[in-house]
Amino acid sequence: MSGLNEFMEKRTLSRRELLRWTAFASTGALLAACAPGVAPSATSDGGGATPAKAKVRIVATTQMPIDQWQPAIERAVEQLPDIDLLLTQTNISEGGWAGYSDRIVTQIAGGEQLDVIMIAIEGLGLLTDKKILAPLDDYFLADPAEKEILDNDIHPVLREMLQVDGKQMEYPFSWNNMVMYYNTAIFEEAGVEPPSRDWNWEDFLDTCLKVANVKGGADDRYAYSFWGSGMFGMAAWYFNNDTSPLNDTWTESNLTDPKVAETLQFLADLILKHRVSPNPQGWEEWAQFHAGHLAMRTCGRWCISGSLNEGFTTYDLQYQPHRAGPIKTVAGTDGWGIASATKTPEEAWAVTKFLSNKDASIDMTKSGGNIPALRSVAEMPLFAEYGPPNTAIFYESLDYAKTVPSPKNFNIVDPILNRHYQTIWNGEKSVEEALAAADAEVRAEMEKLQAGRSSFAGVSVGAVAMACDCAQ
Amino acid sequence: MLTTVADPYQTSASAGKQRISRWRTNRVQEVFAGYLFITPAFISLFIFLVAPILAAFVLIFMRYDVLSPPTWVGTYNLSQIINDARLRDVYWNTLRFVVFATLFNNVLGLLLAMGVNRAMPSIIKYLLRTALFFPVLTTTASLALVWNFLLTQDRGVVNYLLQQIGLAPVPWLSSSTWAMVSVVMFDVWRACGFLMVIYLAGLQAIPEVLYEAASIDGASQFQRMRYITLPLISPTAFFAIIISLIGAAQVFDNVWVLTGGGPGDATRIVVLYIYEIGFKRFEMGYAAAVSLTLFVILIALTLFQFRLSRRWVHYD
Repeated sequence: MSGLNEFMEKRTLSRRELLRWTAFASTGALLAACAPGVAPSATSDGGGATPAKAKVRIVATTQMPIDQWQPAIERAVEQLPDIDLLLTQTNISEGGWAGYSDRIVTQIAGGEQLDVIMIAIEGLGLLTDKKILAPLDDYFLADPAEKEILDNDIHPVLREMLQVDGKQMEYPFSWNNMVMYYNTAIFEEAGVEPPSRDWNWEDFLDTCLKVANVKGGADDRYAYSFWGSGMFGMAAWYFNNDTSPLNDTWTESNLTDPKVAETLQFLADLILKHRVSPNPQGWEEWAQFHAGHLAMRTCGRWCISGSLNEGFTTYDLQYQPHRAGPIKTVAGTDGWGIASATKTPEEAWAVTKFLSNKDASIDMTKSGGNIPALRSVAEMPLFAEYGPPNTAIFYESLDYAKTVPSPKNFNIVDPILNRHYQTIWNGEKSVEEALAAADAEVRAEMEKLQAGRSSFAGVSVGAVAMACDCAQ
Repeated sequence: MLTTVADPYQTSASAGKQRISRWRTNRVQEVFAGYLFITPAFISLFIFLVAPILAAFVLIFMRYDVLSPPTWVGTYNLSQIINDARLRDVYWNTLRFVVFATLFNNVLGLLLAMGVNRAMPSIIKYLLRTALFFPVLTTTASLALVWNFLLTQDRGVVNYLLQQIGLAPVPWLSSSTWAMVSVVMFDVWRACGFLMVIYLAGLQAIPEVLYEAASIDGASQFQRMRYITLPLISPTAFFAIIISLIGAAQVFDNVWVLTGGGPGDATRIVVLYIYEIGFKRFEMGYAAAVSLTLFVILIALTLFQFRLSRRWVHYD
C-alpha cells in the first residue's frame, strides 16, 4: 500500500503508476466478474421495500405452427402476480422430442434453474432417468381438486403414459395420434371415393396411384407424403402392420421382425417404385398439402392449426390404412412436470396447475393444436367445430391407441433409426441392408443400457407400451 | 585535527551499488507491471481455453453424462475409438471435405483476388469486393437455410431452373454423393471471399517495379505469374492454406443446418460427430477421446505443412 500512500501524499500519478493501477483494477474487475453472483435477498428490511417475487422458469416447446401456450402464459402473468414467470421455448421441428430433451439436459447441466417443464412421453424416460423431474403424487395428494381432475377427467391411458414406476411424473395436458389427412378436392377431381374406415394397404396404394400426377415437373402432385423419420410418424405405419421397431418393453430391438422390413419396403416403394411419394428429406409437406401438390399426409391434430392459418378447408380425416392385426393408432401424451431442483415448489405447482387448466386446453383446441387431455374439453362442441367433418376420430381413436415406443435412451435410438431410414428413402441401401445396420446399432445401445455402460444407466424402464383398455 | 577524506574509489563503488540496486528495483517493478498487464488475458485464456483442454484430457478417462459425477473408466473410451466403425466413415467424410474445401477455397480465393486486383473503375472494384466478401459477413446458419431452400430436390429453385432447361432434377441434399458436393459448394461460396481478401493483401504487397522489370525483359503474363506472383505470395498462401485447412476440419454449422450430417452418415464430419456424442448421447468421455484424435491429426497436419513449406514458401 506504500504506492497508494505515496500517491495520496503527492496527489500526482506517474504514467507507470497509472498503468500499474489500471492493471490492478482490470485484474480485480475480471476476478469479480468471474466470482459467483449473489442473489438479491428476498427479505424486506422493514423499510417498506416490496418483497421479491418468486421466480418460476418454464420450458416449453414452440409447437407447430401455432404457439399454443402463449395465451395461457400471458394469462398466468396476469393472474399469478406474485410469481415472476420466465418462459423459454424450444422449437421441436428440428430433432423432435429427442432433440428437445437433449436441450433440457444441456440447459440444466449448464446451470440453468428450470422449474416447470413441458415434455412428452418420448423424453420422459430421459428426464426421469436423469432425475430432472420430481414425482407429482404429493402435490396431487395435497390438492384434492386437482386429484379429482387427474382421476376423473383424464383418460387412464393418458394418465398412465406419464407415470414411471407407478409415480405420476407429469400433469397430462395434451396428446396426439396419427390419422390420414386427405384433400377432398383432389379426390373429387380424380373421381376417387373417400377412404373407408377399414381401408387396407392395397386400397391405399390403389388410391395413391389414382390421385398422383408426377411427371418430374414443377406442377407435380404427389399422392402421399410421410414423415420418413421420427418414431411417432413411423409407428403409425408399424403398428398397423402389427409390429414395432422395439419390443413391447422397449428394451430390445425388434428390427429383425419381417413385418418391420415389409412396412419399410411398402413405404420405400411408394417413393422409388410407384413414384407417388416424394423423398421425405427436405420435403415441405405442410405447404404442399395446402397448395394442392399433395393429396394425403399422415399427421396428428396439430396439423389442423396450419390449415386454420391458411384458411384451407377442403380436407378430411380417416384412420391410417392397416395391413395386419386390428386397426391401431400411435398415441403419445405430453404434460407439465416440476423440476426436482426447483427452489419454489409451491409456485411451480401453481403454475403447473394453471398451464394444465381448462382455459389453456380450450385455447389449444381453438388454435387447432393437440388433442386436450381433459375429457371435458374434448367433448365440448368446439372440439368438432375446429376441425374437418370427421374430426371425432381424433378422440375416439384412443380406443385403438398404442403408446409410441419411448425407451429412456429414446434420444439415441430415434436418431439411429432416422439415419438409416434416410438411406432407404434415397435408394442407396436396400431395406434389408439398412435394417441390419440399424439393428446392430440399436442392439448395441440397448445392451449398453442393460449393462449400465451408457449415460442412461440408473433407473429401470418405467413406462411400458400399452394398448388402450377401453373398459377403463 | 583529523580530517576525514572520502575514498574516491569507495564512494564510487557505493554509488555503483546504489545504481545497481535502483536498477534492480526498477527492473523488478517493470517485470511485475508486465505480469500484471498480461494477467487478465492469461486468466481469460486459462478459463476459456487451457482449462477446457486440460479437462478434456482428464475426461478421456471418465464416464461423464453432464449431470452425474464423472466416474473413472480407465482406457475404455480410447478402446471405443478402435471399435467405432462410424468414426472411420466420419473421418473419411472429413478428409474429403477438408481436401476439396481447402483446394477450391484457395484456388478460387486467389483467382478472385487476381481478378479484383486488376485495373478497373473504382466503383466496380469496390462493388465486386463487397459482393464477394458479403457471405463472410452473414451468419452461416442463415445462409445454410437459404441454400437448403434452393437445393431441395422436389421444390428447390435450382432444380426448378434445371428442369426449365430440360435437365433432370438433382438430389442435392438427399443423395450421399451430391450432399457432399453441396456442402463443399456452400462452404466455398461462403468462405472464398475471406481468402480473396487475404490473397489480395498479398498481391498488393508485391512491388510493381518487379512486374515492370519483367515486362522490360520480355516476360509473358504466365511467366510473371509463375516467377514473380506465386513465389512472392507464397507466405500468404501458406497462411491461407493453414487457416482454411484448420477451418475446414472444424466446420460445424454449414453441415448441421444444410444436411444435419445426412443422408445417413454421408456428410457427417468429425466435429458434428463429437457434438452428437457429447450433447446428444451425453458421453462426454468418449467425445473427449474423439476430440483428442482430431487434435492430434490437426497438430500433425500443421507440422507437416510447416515442414513442407520450407520447399515452396519464400520469405525473401
